[in-house]
Amino acid sequence: MQLLRYLQHWLTRRGPGFQVADFVPETHPIRQWADTFPWAALVAAVDRSFAQRFPKPSTRGRPPVSTRVLLALELLKQELTCSDEQICSRLRTDVAVMYACGITEVQVDRAQEHFVLPEVLAQFRRRLDEPLMAELLAIQAATAMEDGLVSPAHLVVDTFPSEQGSQRVNDAATLYKAQKKSSSSSRP
Amino acid sequence: MQSAELEVQAHQLQHDLQKMMRRFGRQCRGMGTVFVTLVRQTETQLLERGRQVLPLAQAVQERLHSMPQLLEDQRARLDTQLTAALEAYHWIESQSRRLTQGKALTHCKIVNAYDPTIAPICKGKSNCPAQFGRKPGIIAEPAAGFIFALHLPVGNPSDASYVEPLVDNVEQAIARVRTRPTPAIHSLAGDLALNDAALREVLHERGILTVGIPKTVDPLPPSPTPEDVLRILDETDLHHIRTPSQVHLAYACGYSRPVVESSIASLLCRGAGHLTYKGHRGAIVQTGMAVMAHNAATLVRIHQYRLSKRARTFRRRLRLRCRKVNQGNASIN
Repeated sequence: MQLLRYLQHWLTRRGPGFQVADFVPETHPIRQWADTFPWAALVAAVDRSFAQRFPKPSTRGRPPVSTRVLLALELLKQELTCSDEQICSRLRTDVAVMYACGITEVQVDRAQEHFVLPEVLAQFRRRLDEPLMAELLAIQAATAMEDGLVSPAHLVVDTFPSEQGSQRVNDAATLYKAQKKSSSSSRP
Repeated sequence: MQSAELEVQAHQLQHDLQKMMRRFGRQCRGMGTVFVTLVRQTETQLLERGRQVLPLAQAVQERLHSMPQLLEDQRARLDTQLTAALEAYHWIESQSRRLTQGKALTHCKIVNAYDPTIAPICKGKSNCPAQFGRKPGIIAEPAAGFIFALHLPVGNPSDASYVEPLVDNVEQAIARVRTRPTPAIHSLAGDLALNDAALREVLHERGILTVGIPKTVDPLPPSPTPEDVLRILDETDLHHIRTPSQVHLAYACGYSRPVVESSIASLLCRGAGHLTYKGHRGAIVQTGMAVMAHNAATLVRIHQYRLSKRARTFRRRLRLRCRKVNQGNASIN
């Protein structure tokens, strides 16, 4: 019950409700950004892939957090350069983020802390794999081509470097470097 | 062997190995150089003492399977981690031996004991040289910068090896398009790293022009002469598929570093240049999400017609349309 309260607050039907779309202007950058995604096709692809790779032994139990919400959060996380905690926190308070996540109506409840926990987002991400990501990208590209917005006629290929992991500098390393620098500079 | 006994042995072994490395460090300290003889002596000692690591790990693995207090998934997770560590040990050992024997390392050397898919990246493009990491490849349209596909191989292979998987991915996307006429790839551009005769051959067989891939450092002419167009179509044997106007457009698109840089910069500001998700799969997920977010932002720009003069010209020549973002898709929910 506690989990249900934390994860699917907008289904509990408590407090006065409001329509999310009424609060987000049509010119809002996040709304415009979210409107470009073919959500139905993307969600169907994710659900199909998950159903094949992680079949549920039983239909019992609490319904999961919507794939639509989690996928949108993952994309928003990159777009807004947030951490899991930050984007999940923004989902609770930012109406534009709610709109992008496909939440149509919300019940006002001050006591509510989270809509989606960061752990749930991490679990969702753990299930994504290379073929699924390629499929999602292909769906997005195909939709843009169908709409006549982009053409694959002339393409350009390139690569770019990306570093792995956080390159943290600890205190010991900083101190060692500082000492080394001062000793080398004091030499005649 | 009992668990407690194994634990004591492991601690003792770890202590001894640390002691040896500490001694090695002390001997080298202040010298300003590392002596090869000293390295080889230490290597012999480490290998002698470290010989026990493998039987110890195997004993632990056997013990792991006979522990009733562990849950099934817990056991599987530990088993996987131990197997990965044992495999990594073999790779690191062979690499270290090559180094101490003064032999050059192979192309894909290990730079991280916990993730063998990371490789040294010797390129300083986009003002972000990365010493160790990954090298994602993208295939994008040069007008607005929409990225059609992403390829992230293990290690650091040549740039030319990226092209075929990327073109395959674009063709898979094209296969999903239900409108007619079905789009097709006419030409492909890239930098000098893609200048490979075999690759050109493969692309020609697929009906793709390669005039955008330079053969020298000289810039491409902005518009080819009619003779050049005929020569290119003759050489590539694409008379029946490609038209002279497509060759002209391929020349005009060419390879523009600022255009590519703008797409890469957009990805980097969405976190694609600094991978925080673990492993190769994590890197694909993070970069893939950044690409999708970038594409959505690009589509917004296209809808609003916030494009460069060059992009507008190409869109006109490619007969691509533009519509307002909320015109046909009033509500997504």
